[in-house]
Amino acid sequence: MNDYKHPLTDVEFVLNELVQFDDLCVGAGLDEVNAELASVILTEAGKLGSGVLAPLNRTGDELHPAIGENGVAETKGFAEAYQAYVEGGWATLTAAEEFGGQNLPNVLGTAVNEVWQTCNISFALCPLLSQGAIESISHHGSDALKEHYLPKLVSGEWTGTMNLTEAGAGTDLAAVSTKAVRDGDHYRITGQKVFITWGDHQMTDNIVHLVLARLPDAPAGVKGISLFIVPKFLLDENGNPAERNDVAAVSLEHKMGIHGSPTCVMSFGDNGGAVGYLVGEEHNGLAYMFTMMNHARQAVGLQGLGVSEASYQLALQFAKDRIQGTKKDGSRYPIIRFADVRRMLMQMKSGTEAMRALCLVAAAEADRDNSARLELLTPIVKGWVTEFAQELTSLGIQIHGGMGFVEETGAAQYYRDARILPIYEGTTGVQALDLVGRKTLMNGGESLQALLDEMAADISAFEALSGDFTLAAQQCRTSLDNGIAARQWLLDTAADRNASASACVNFMMLFGFLCGGWLMAKSAVKAQAKLEAGEGDPAFLQSKLVTARFYCEHVMPRTQSYLASVIAGGESIMALDEEQF
Amino acid sequence: MKILVPVKRVIDYNVKVHVKSDNSDVDLANVKMAMNPFCEIAVEQAVRLKEAGIASEVIVVSIGDKSCQEQIRTALALGADRGIQIDTDTVTDSLSAAKLLKAVVQEEQPQLVIMGKQSIDTDNNQAGQMLAALLDYPQGTFVSDMSVESDKVQIVREVDGGLQTLELDLPAIVTVDLRLNDPRYASLPNIMKAKRKPLAVKTPAELGVELNNKVTLVAVNPPADRQAGIKVASVDELVEKLKNEVKVL
Amino acid sequence: MTILVIAEHDNAELKPATLNTLAAAQQIGGDIELLVAGFNCQAVADSAAGIPGVTKVLLADNAAYEHELAENISKLIVALVSGHSHILASATTNGKNYLPRVAALLDVNQLSDVIAIESADTFQRPIYAGNAIATVKTDDVVKLLTIRGTAFDAVVDTGGSAAIETVSEVCDNGNVRFIKEELAKSDRPELTTAGVIVAGGRGMGNAENFDMLYELADKLGGAVGASRAAVDAGFVPNDLQIGQTGKVVAPDLYIAVGISGAIQHLAGMKDSKVIVAINKDEEAPIFSVADYGLVADLFDALPELSTQI
Repeated sequence: MNDYKHPLTDVEFVLNELVQFDDLCVGAGLDEVNAELASVILTEAGKLGSGVLAPLNRTGDELHPAIGENGVAETKGFAEAYQAYVEGGWATLTAAEEFGGQNLPNVLGTAVNEVWQTCNISFALCPLLSQGAIESISHHGSDALKEHYLPKLVSGEWTGTMNLTEAGAGTDLAAVSTKAVRDGDHYRITGQKVFITWGDHQMTDNIVHLVLARLPDAPAGVKGISLFIVPKFLLDENGNPAERNDVAAVSLEHKMGIHGSPTCVMSFGDNGGAVGYLVGEEHNGLAYMFTMMNHARQAVGLQGLGVSEASYQLALQFAKDRIQGTKKDGSRYPIIRFADVRRMLMQMKSGTEAMRALCLVAAAEADRDNSARLELLTPIVKGWVTEFAQELTSLGIQIHGGMGFVEETGAAQYYRDARILPIYEGTTGVQALDLVGRKTLMNGGESLQALLDEMAADISAFEALSGDFTLAAQQCRTSLDNGIAARQWLLDTAADRNASASACVNFMMLFGFLCGGWLMAKSAVKAQAKLEAGEGDPAFLQSKLVTARFYCEHVMPRTQSYLASVIAGGESIMALDEEQF
Repeated sequence: MKILVPVKRVIDYNVKVHVKSDNSDVDLANVKMAMNPFCEIAVEQAVRLKEAGIASEVIVVSIGDKSCQEQIRTALALGADRGIQIDTDTVTDSLSAAKLLKAVVQEEQPQLVIMGKQSIDTDNNQAGQMLAALLDYPQGTFVSDMSVESDKVQIVREVDGGLQTLELDLPAIVTVDLRLNDPRYASLPNIMKAKRKPLAVKTPAELGVELNNKVTLVAVNPPADRQAGIKVASVDELVEKLKNEVKVL
Repeated sequence: MTILVIAEHDNAELKPATLNTLAAAQQIGGDIELLVAGFNCQAVADSAAGIPGVTKVLLADNAAYEHELAENISKLIVALVSGHSHILASATTNGKNYLPRVAALLDVNQLSDVIAIESADTFQRPIYAGNAIATVKTDDVVKLLTIRGTAFDAVVDTGGSAAIETVSEVCDNGNVRFIKEELAKSDRPELTTAGVIVAGGRGMGNAENFDMLYELADKLGGAVGASRAAVDAGFVPNDLQIGQTGKVVAPDLYIAVGISGAIQHLAGMKDSKVIVAINKDEEAPIFSVADYGLVADLFDALPELSTQI
């Protein structure tokens, strides 16, 4: 979208009031980093986003990448944009200083990534995947691998990919069949990977593929998978890309959305085996995948925010410009004055603000090394934000009326682009199972209880607000009670695997809407305090109060129906025989 | 050679201004502020001269309260070396600004002052010319191209009838127009470095300048609204209306 | 009260903008003296002397003034300021170049782009790209104004007989040299004073398509202008740019073709008397200021319009 305006004021509000950014920096020992610096960084990121990335969003949708003799040619203009991104040093934001990074907090990196994801989700996927490669290598790679690959990945001179999925191994990675054979100091990889995002392109002079493969003597199942680095070009003795490795993109998927992002079928070893280097230890690859999962899943949740924000900005402009009403005196007015358009806009506005609050609060837990909370929030960020994004981008079309169904306006692209988000990097079902299983039942509901306790304190403060918040506070309290009840039900029925597995998505959605409402209520309390102290931008703070109130009154009551579904259990879900379908 | 670049904090280019209801001024409360776009071009030009090895140091100066340090930092992030904030809460007119800048020029002795041709708030287009006059320096205004050779600068001016090329002896003042260059985006490492670059704060009194303003703002009004007219269905109808309704053909 | 007006000219003829500035001077009231500073510009002074209402023409004819270098002209004006209450110049790239220098040398402010005279010391001028109009009062002993020509109707230029007085003052700064000038040669009227303007935007597609606009402009005896987008795209030279940072125009008829109407463009043309917009995008902001909007493909509409006129 060409008219992207970075919502800096809201981001600053979340960073300062909900994340306590300055305290976080002090706690992390980052003396030079503070909210003021963050604002400058975000302002400049916003300029690059609106000036360079946003204008290419539509281009990527219309001019798909193409595959030819030399591999994949990305959409025209993307290489220049990527160059601007790298030259700006944006790839280095959160990486460690020793490999050329700026060592800035994860939450700031997340706030900056929102800009890229909002402006151009297909483009932003490329650095997102590089980030995954950087994390795997820095956590588990040998010193030699780090030295050879990290500096250029961190700077963005090279990009990274994650080669996990195979035709027969999607959610079930235990079924990975790509082979790795020892060959001196390296390995030879053969096999085919599918759905490889940005698997090939011409934007950089090397691509570093992280590949899951199985050694001949590996035990069956998840404990027999190893992780390898397979560079597109092997490095010479000086560490520069030289000989072409035996890996190639062999076809591109024709997708519903994110057209600008080439989704490749990657073939390894068509000519004897691609050279691969083991990351960490043999047979331990899947465990390594889990170490970067929190980041990758939160990053996809953030994409849900980005695409919703983009959809909202477009719909808002349309609602202000589109003249459809006629007054008695014959004068005409824009559709933003219609109550139902307002309802949709408020849903989008409050929804994106709640998403942003949750994404940043969750990202900050990584900086605080609060791993229990980080682990707990991650499936909610990924599952709830991306599911909610389906609704919000759909409303973005609805506000446009018939014009929304026409591709020309651009509203449809966001809806199409959003659709992959609840699928990749672990489907909504996988997130929900993770939330009820590993993140809740495995610790006896302790993590969740701590979160609910914190919510209770903040909601009490919200209840104490004077003014128009009576109903909002009631709904907030009821939703909290719904969360408490859902947790209790889960613990009570722990023995019945069918029950929890059937209820898990509704359980996760309940907690998503509850978390959003909790943070909106907390925002209202902070906004009110600032208004009373005469600080900040009163127009923004007042609208924050109204948006929080709307969310609690109109969106939060959904927790009621999610609770009803949760406690209904799995009986009717599983009652039919397969033949009866 | 040193280059001095004065920059101004103004309402963001994309923000539509509204006149206050009491007509005392435009409403600037809580609107987004940014560096004047012409000043960005001036900073870019100075940084390019430094990158080309022609300039040795780029100093940015801004007049205003503490908030204008934000624009100085932006300029530092774009590649300027150090900043000077002339600290004042008073809204300075062009002449006072020129006097303050003159004092800075006398202290710093730059060979070249590059600045925007005008700021997009007051639209005066005069501070650079005034500074040049106070220093008795030659000036190049509306500049769309420039090249520096030892002790001279050749500039191309966008004048009403076309382009005019002048040669100025240094030291000189150059005020830049839109097409001189395309300002870069600040890079993250440079934003980080900018924090550590020196930023001096001076008061008008320290510079020996007394601020007084002989021009008073009596009122500010929105411009007369132009109403949208009608849509015509065809060229025939258009020509008919122009001939018979408004009689301009 | 005596007002000094600086003539806008090219050493051969007086530019029409001078007549608008004289109109502003007349509204202030008082004797009006007109300074013609140039080289071999006697003809300009002669025609200036014929403007009714000009009490005296001051002629400074010297090679130092040939190219209107601000460094020289400003010092000349300062030398002549004594006895004058106001100094007015046209808000052209010339006037904007030298008058602020005069102001600084006199230790007074300058009011730029004045669009209305309220009294001898109170004036209106646009700020924020014309999105607000400021009324300003100046207490300076000498009041310096640049005048936006489009805001004042030109005075008649014949019938008077002012005396011509030669000024011998020579101000020649050695630190600036004229190298060259590339001026667009055209038989068409100047953009800022044309009665009709046909302007094209990015929608014109390329430089060649602007020929269609020239054809139409010639039929109407008008000038051709452009939006910043068209200039930036290289379709036409920069001196055709209309808008906040280009020229401000207010012709009797303005025909905008393939111009979407960015606020910066509107700032430069919205005071035109009749505005016609031709654009295929029905939502283009230009329609919000147009008296007559035609939603059509310009490549169909332009040839048809040319044949009908």
